[in-house]
Amino acid sequence: MNSFAIARPDSFRAASKLVTDGKYSLPVIKSGGIDLIDHMKEGLTAPDLLVEVRGLREDDRRTTVTQESDHFRFEAAATLTDIGESPLVSKSCPVVAQSVLSAATPAIRNMATAAGNLLQRPRCWYYRNSQFDCLKKGGSTCYAVGGENQYHAIFGDGPCHIVHPSNLAPALMVTSGVVHVMGGKRKEIPIADLFHMPDRGVRSENNLEPGEIITHITCAMSPRSGFYGVKEKQSFDWPMAFACVSLDMDGETIKGARVCAGAVAPVPWMLPKVADALAGVNSGDDAGIRNAAAIASRGARPMTDNAYKVKLLEVVVYRAVVKALGREPEGLA
Amino acid sequence: MSDSTILIPTKNRPANAGASMSDDASRKDGVQKVTGAAKYGKDVFPANGLFISFVRCPWGVGELTGFDKDAAMKVPGVIEVDIDKDKKEGKYNGATVGYVVAESPLALKRGLAALACNWKRRDAVTRLADALGEVPSVDEAAAGVLKGAEMTLEAVYSTEVQTHSSLETHGVSIDHKGDTAIVYASTQGTFSVRDGLDDAIKLKRSEYEVVCEFVGGGFGSKLNGAGKEGTTAARIAAKYKRPAYLFCNRAEEHLDTGNRPGSRARISIGFKKDGTILGGEVRTWGSVGPNKNGGGCNVPSGRYDLGNTKKAHEDVALNAGMPRAFRAPGHPQGAFVEELMLDEIALACDLDPLAMRMKIIKSDAIKEMAALGAKQIGWDQRSKTGSQTGVVRRGMGMGITSWGRFPANVEAEVVINQDGSVEARTGTQDIGTGQRTMVAIITSDGLGISVDAVAVRIGNSTLPEGPGSGGSVTTVNSAPAFMAAAADAKRKMLEAVAQRMNADPGELDIKSGVIQRGGQNAIQWKDACAMLGNAITGKGENNRASVQADKTSGTSNGAQFVDLQVDTQTGIIQVNRIVAVQACGRVVARKLAESQIIGGVIQGLSYALFENRLLDRATGAMVNPNMEWYKIAGPRDMPLIQPILWTKDGTGPRPLGEPPTIPTSGAIACALLNALGVPVRSLPLTPNKVLAALEKGGRA
Repeated sequence: MNSFAIARPDSFRAASKLVTDGKYSLPVIKSGGIDLIDHMKEGLTAPDLLVEVRGLREDDRRTTVTQESDHFRFEAAATLTDIGESPLVSKSCPVVAQSVLSAATPAIRNMATAAGNLLQRPRCWYYRNSQFDCLKKGGSTCYAVGGENQYHAIFGDGPCHIVHPSNLAPALMVTSGVVHVMGGKRKEIPIADLFHMPDRGVRSENNLEPGEIITHITCAMSPRSGFYGVKEKQSFDWPMAFACVSLDMDGETIKGARVCAGAVAPVPWMLPKVADALAGVNSGDDAGIRNAAAIASRGARPMTDNAYKVKLLEVVVYRAVVKALGREPEGLA
Repeated sequence: MSDSTILIPTKNRPANAGASMSDDASRKDGVQKVTGAAKYGKDVFPANGLFISFVRCPWGVGELTGFDKDAAMKVPGVIEVDIDKDKKEGKYNGATVGYVVAESPLALKRGLAALACNWKRRDAVTRLADALGEVPSVDEAAAGVLKGAEMTLEAVYSTEVQTHSSLETHGVSIDHKGDTAIVYASTQGTFSVRDGLDDAIKLKRSEYEVVCEFVGGGFGSKLNGAGKEGTTAARIAAKYKRPAYLFCNRAEEHLDTGNRPGSRARISIGFKKDGTILGGEVRTWGSVGPNKNGGGCNVPSGRYDLGNTKKAHEDVALNAGMPRAFRAPGHPQGAFVEELMLDEIALACDLDPLAMRMKIIKSDAIKEMAALGAKQIGWDQRSKTGSQTGVVRRGMGMGITSWGRFPANVEAEVVINQDGSVEARTGTQDIGTGQRTMVAIITSDGLGISVDAVAVRIGNSTLPEGPGSGGSVTTVNSAPAFMAAAADAKRKMLEAVAQRMNADPGELDIKSGVIQRGGQNAIQWKDACAMLGNAITGKGENNRASVQADKTSGTSNGAQFVDLQVDTQTGIIQVNRIVAVQACGRVVARKLAESQIIGGVIQGLSYALFENRLLDRATGAMVNPNMEWYKIAGPRDMPLIQPILWTKDGTGPRPLGEPPTIPTSGAIACALLNALGVPVRSLPLTPNKVLAALEKGGRA
């Protein structure tokens, strides 16, 4: 790790200025620091200035998680623990609480922030190893093609085959999540517009402009929502596939649905055809739910070693829908 | 109550109550370890020290075509760059071709970066299955057995490479003071480090000592004497007459400090419908490094009557880090093959696998242990294999184990000082198994004083010699030596006190820290010690002859039973419970013995479900040289583990380090077969393999 300076500005505005005023050659925003320190230790990045925004708030509010009329507001520096263990969020937006609580470990969740979770870089083992000059690092090869790809993407067709690492992002995708920013021309970015596919710029995963800083995140209350993920290890592991589901109910009938999968594509992967198929299905119609979930894997193009994810995807979507309906998946109760 | 004794018996394991000399003793150094007060070799940063890092091959096969030594030397703080002129090719990721020396870790890292090694990558062999060469057909005699058999099983089993993953990485910190030195080593053999440094450190043995008070894991990988880390640091320390520090980082630890080799086994076995094994052939291959050594796969184990089964083995060189001894080398991979093979045979014969095993287990003790374990796990609740159709299916499986007692030379000293303090001394290290605690308990028991009254000095080459901790030799050979040393000290003490009291030594004894005469309390310990003219040193030893003469000792047998459930839609296995019946002779400290068994089971479970050194097939680089993608079982993967200490077949010393990790992976694989109805013949038992097996077997 190289030497660096650390700045603790007293406002987002000052933070934004520090990363754009050109006084340092590689200034970076630091929030929880989990992913950033990993990068610095591996030699993937060598910033000369860390701008700490963890303690900053847009106003003088004390809490990092707030319920405001019909939506939730998470400060950028709300930790995953703050969000996941909030009784309000677990009750009125279970998909968000469940998805963040399945990430990492209790210790990491106590440090990792909402904004950091959205902006963390992928965990691809070729990207994370400095000796591989992969596409993300300016090279000309995706080593996962023809290499070890059991945890890589089954959607997206490359050229880079990462899976997006955020647990929170897919939950926000189904709850009308909005990222609120300052320091640039925009004030709000719908969560769906925050990320891009590799063919739209392989060196980064998000669309923030230099100097743009996330101040807070909002999402709609979605009491009929659910998350289901599958991890090889039940402690400290990354999911092989997971799904976030939010339902609008008309009595016992699903009126509308939003379904997003994680760990299967370079971005949070919306499944609109599954959502369409769910519309009109009765909550007790297990076969109807299964048929809709089976659509999830349509268009999947697995690599040499990750075909198992195709089946897993259908399973996690089915189970997330059932959980959103307030039940335990059949056979698991 | 002192801080080293927690007076709460382990109430959740009533079966083991009263099994040991001390049911309540906790680790003597437990508080130091959990608070960070314990200083490991890696924690020692001597002032004015030099830091060293190896230059390593980044690919499976790489040729070093260029490097910028001048640029590296220009980095402030870099003082030496040495690249071996004759060794510019690395034949595995992590192979060393030289080193850099610097004044600080930061300068070292910058120096390595400035060196800008240019490696030309060449094709590497990364998969055992791809490197077998010509596979011979089944031996003629074995083929004859197969032909005459009522039924046969032909199958291929495989296991992946498990790295030791010691939390304290390999290395040494040498506090070189010019004409003397203290070597802080992370080792399983204090004296082997001393012996291995002779040439490199350029000091007489009387001028340096090796200190190893705590070891952060070794599991066999730290039995290699000083190692290249030690000899390189010693050469640098001697050259500059300054302290030198060389410890591997996490990636280097995975790449180049040993591993349990991968294996492949081709089974061709003939048997009768009643489960009698007639014989056949077991052909195994072990995946090793370029040195082509150390890939043994211990099947058949000899624990079962497998009729006339022939064995052939071959080591296959990969471009990969070399194996080293790993907790029961060759055994867990062999037991996985053997146990799963037996369950497949039982399934083919429509027999209960326990009942079938009872006919072919050679040891009566193991049969008795298996019966107990079966009762504990609730074997009568076991479903018929393949009978379940639900999403989540439950399975039970079993495996057996055995390990012999290897002799080792141990010299022990027990010193009674005139101020009443007592010291027990051995140079032998404590690799985490509880040597320090065990020595205190044996000494206190022999002298008749409390455990807390015994100070233990271990892990130092200036203390009496003891063995390297490998092959489960430490406790079984140290305990008799300390029993003898304590008895010797007690005899000398009572003789001296008897003289002062004008008594016959035969009248005296020591109970609870009081000298008794004719069964009555006579003198307090401290007062008695004050009567001594000199400190007393009791000596004891253990050696090959004393071990051979000891008829109470024997093999450590065991049997393990697993209860698990598997989600057939996701392939996720959750182990619910493991019962481990384990012979252990006379137990010194119950909690430590139970911990040893639990630790072995955990390591076996982690091996069964997760661990896999994964080499990139295209470049030969390890893609998971970290603790993130090299997966090791965590707290939520833990079943309820119930160790049962089996003292029935003899109370003499029996080894406990290796045997409990042998049968776990096989028992888990058998339980999975029971749940699914189809075998998964390849470790680790990951969800993708479970799903594939279900699909292939038509049982999804």
